[in-house]
Amino acid sequence: MKRTFTCIVCPNGCEIDAEYEGTNVLSVTGNLCPKGKAYVTQELIDPRRTIASSVRVLGGTMPLASVRLNRPVPKDRIFDVMAEIRRKTMKAPVRIGDVVIDNVLGLGSDVVITKNVEKERA
Amino acid sequence: MIKRQAVIVGGGPAGLAAALRMKENGIDDILILEREHLPGGILRQCIHDGFGLTRFEESLSGPEYAQRFIDRANEAGIECWTDCTVLDVSKDKVVTAVSKVHGFLQISAQAVLLTMGCRERTRGALATPGTRPSGVYTAGVAQAYINLQNIMVGKEVVILGSGDIGLIMARRLTLEGAHVKGVYEVQPYPNGLPRNIEQCLNDYHIPLHLSHTVIEIRGRERLSSVVVAACDEHFRPIPGTEEEIPCDTLILSVGLIPENELTLGAGIELDPRTRGAFVDENCQTAVPGIFAAGNVLHVHDLVDFVSLEAEALADSAARYLKEGGLTPCPLTVVAGSDVGHVIPQKVSGTKDFTLWLRVRRPLNGVSVVVRQGGRELLRKKMRKALPAEMIQLSIKAQKLTQDADVEVSVE
Amino acid sequence: MPSYDVIIIGGGVIGSAIARELTRYRLSVGVLEKESDVCTQTSGRNTGMLHAGFLYKTGSLKAQCAVEGNLEFDAVAKELDVPFKRTGKLIVGFTEEHRERLLTMIERGKANGVPGMELIDRKRMDEIDPSAGGNFAIYCPTSGILDPFLYTIALAENAVQNGAAYHLYTKVTGHEVLADGTHLLHTDGKGDFTCRWVINSAGLHSAEISEMLGIPGYKIQPVKGEYFVLDKKAGVYAKIPVYPAPTPKNTFDTHATPTVDGNVLVGPNSFNVDDGEDYSVRQVGMDGLQESGARMFKHMKRDYYIRTFAGARPKRVDPETGEIQDFLIERRDEVPGVINLVGIESPGLTSALPIARRVVKLLEEKESLTPNPSFNPVRRGIRRFHGLSAEEQAELIRENPDYGEIVCRCETVTRAEIIAAIHNPLGVCTVNGIKVRTRASMGRCQGGYCETRITALIREELGKAVPDVRLGSGDSYMFTGYVREGEQA
Repeated sequence: MKRTFTCIVCPNGCEIDAEYEGTNVLSVTGNLCPKGKAYVTQELIDPRRTIASSVRVLGGTMPLASVRLNRPVPKDRIFDVMAEIRRKTMKAPVRIGDVVIDNVLGLGSDVVITKNVEKERA
Repeated sequence: MIKRQAVIVGGGPAGLAAALRMKENGIDDILILEREHLPGGILRQCIHDGFGLTRFEESLSGPEYAQRFIDRANEAGIECWTDCTVLDVSKDKVVTAVSKVHGFLQISAQAVLLTMGCRERTRGALATPGTRPSGVYTAGVAQAYINLQNIMVGKEVVILGSGDIGLIMARRLTLEGAHVKGVYEVQPYPNGLPRNIEQCLNDYHIPLHLSHTVIEIRGRERLSSVVVAACDEHFRPIPGTEEEIPCDTLILSVGLIPENELTLGAGIELDPRTRGAFVDENCQTAVPGIFAAGNVLHVHDLVDFVSLEAEALADSAARYLKEGGLTPCPLTVVAGSDVGHVIPQKVSGTKDFTLWLRVRRPLNGVSVVVRQGGRELLRKKMRKALPAEMIQLSIKAQKLTQDADVEVSVE
Repeated sequence: MPSYDVIIIGGGVIGSAIARELTRYRLSVGVLEKESDVCTQTSGRNTGMLHAGFLYKTGSLKAQCAVEGNLEFDAVAKELDVPFKRTGKLIVGFTEEHRERLLTMIERGKANGVPGMELIDRKRMDEIDPSAGGNFAIYCPTSGILDPFLYTIALAENAVQNGAAYHLYTKVTGHEVLADGTHLLHTDGKGDFTCRWVINSAGLHSAEISEMLGIPGYKIQPVKGEYFVLDKKAGVYAKIPVYPAPTPKNTFDTHATPTVDGNVLVGPNSFNVDDGEDYSVRQVGMDGLQESGARMFKHMKRDYYIRTFAGARPKRVDPETGEIQDFLIERRDEVPGVINLVGIESPGLTSALPIARRVVKLLEEKESLTPNPSFNPVRRGIRRFHGLSAEEQAELIRENPDYGEIVCRCETVTRAEIIAAIHNPLGVCTVNGIKVRTRASMGRCQGGYCETRITALIREELGKAVPDVRLGSGDSYMFTGYVREGEQA
């Protein structure tokens, strides 16, 4: 089987022509680095993505704190993860790196805060 | 009048990186003026990840990337006045600004660093026909509402233009429950990075329609639909291809323009190709002591490169302050065939420098060639070259002479 | 049920001028306006010209009112604190045929009482404005430019200040005369109103309202015009309004007009439409304006586009022949308590106060009016930061630190001005309402920087929830809700 992948690992965005059988990659061309082959392999076995979103922060100087996943999750679970994020409310202050959801849905990835939100002075 | 060694206009990624590097170069008397309530610039609303891959070898979100610089600036004791808008920069480097706290300010600076970033092209500039309902937003404005203000802008969304912010917003809106019906791009190729086409559109099955544009906006109160059509190579709609798409929201991602009102006010000429100032290899404009870097100089696709460029500026600005001037740059850098723009536009010929350029159209199997007086200085082979991707070339001083201009072309 | 001595249907520049002039007397005045603001339709969608009055048939109401309104406008602008520049105007010609028409125009101007018109050569044109096209021109020194939004708003605010009441979002849907002669007006969702006098200044809808009030037989032909707004970077080249020589039908083709704020308007074109409130702009219209505009204004180019818009002039036409007719201002004995204005179009801005005085006169024929001793003709607008000297700006920030926070970077509009606009006397609370009062988001970035700030200030200052923020008229909601629900600030 042949397919062209756009590698999303880095901004180079290499177009990789891959030849494969099932999940076994036979050859890749067009990638500027070895991460390209690893990406194609992962895409065939179990495509994964990280996502970014926001959680509601109460009593803060801003209504939202941004969050992201610290490790990729299976692509087809993204909307399940979003539902978990949507349910979460934090109390200010929050700091970058604070864990909002530990091991979300048992997928091996944490939802972490990516923006400092200070407590609103009354 | 206040006196400062260096005033930095704008506390976004470029301004923060420049300030830190100035400090490392031993310049202590630095003041950043930032019009927003917090430093960090546009990164504050860019909550997606992918920032810092080259600098930190990590995939950070915009706020995290910015915070690393903010924390370091705080540690270094760099002064940053927020909620402070610069109204004017004069030729003799007097900066006029206003703020609630500091009132009306006039600051005389030995060096002024212009790091104001860029703004979005609007519907007005496109002159898209139709009505003027609510529900038409530029991608950056929609991003600010959604990521900073907790406000959802719409439910049924059409995106015009395939710039990176538009692609990022297609995914962001989808994750938040909106239905993104499609992205329409008038050019026959996408304007954003390939990885964003992949992870923001393809992952969510959002169709990208190349050589298509919005030819009419409908709805008197709220947007009710847009009419799209296929376009020919002159971007003219092809009759018979019109299609009406019901939607309540139209997001425009149709280009970024360096924000150079202050630059013009200082009497500095802009390059019509970059829409930023003409600068030399030191990021110095035609006015000695006024420098520019980052998106105000030319629109970048990666913040890592903005930081890099701002640091190069800071090295030069620090040298300018210590030595009272910089080596003259008499040689012109010419953008040749298929080169959209090139920075810097002037070089000394006695110093190593970095060339930043964009190609004019997508090309496969080409070489970027740098020549001086017909002599080849450098040749870089590229499997593909896209307008969306900035190309960086390092030129060594030892290869340069003093007698001819430098030309960059794609062949 | 709200009851007034006089109810004015339509709060545009004409209705607002009438309201203001009526508050000089001891009368209760109510204005019913169906839109979200007073300048959303014809009053706000035009070139902002203070016309000199040479274009109109000698002896017509258009000629009389325009000349009268023109000559008094320096005093009016000062009284109402609105921007105004008496720029003069060039009407340029290329051919001998044009020269003939221009000479005829000068004659008519003289007959109408327009002072100082003269035919000038290219050399004088270059002294006045080298950007103007053409080989020769009429120079008319009394023409001027004003801000049509702020002038309309100023008249309305001065009326409110003197006791008039404005009812926005109030569309009149029916009319009855009660046994005692009282007029009863039905509205769409805002209840009924009664009054002794009804004044029809409904602009595009003036023929319909006239018929509703018992005077059928008029016809309004909406004539639409499209415009480009150009960046202030083009504005530096436009010193004076430049019009082409009139067409054989005595109308003007595309012209380039500087605005009081330093932009340039290119337009309008002109075509009949059925629906005067369809303000969509067409591609073919813009292509035409680009081409014809470039003949009048050498700097007409794409890089300078910042916006397009359209407006419609409600022309009264003969229902049989379609011929364009003069302004109509009437009171009929057989329809008591009604003053009817039909077909008030260009030069309506210039003529607003002269028209209003004629309305007062018609009313005075039927009842004696007692002066309102507390009437104050002076209205103060929002103090603008932009354009002041460094010392004045410094002083203003010391007085009110909100002047130190720039909300709109392109037009240098401060938080103090936005907040003042949000609390405007008419109670307008739309984003467009703030825009026309302050110029915030009228610059080259068209709100890219300030819109998020303005909507936040509207929410904070007026305690509005996110879904209740409106762009302009009707249900032009800006937002569909919150990203994250739950307790909101």
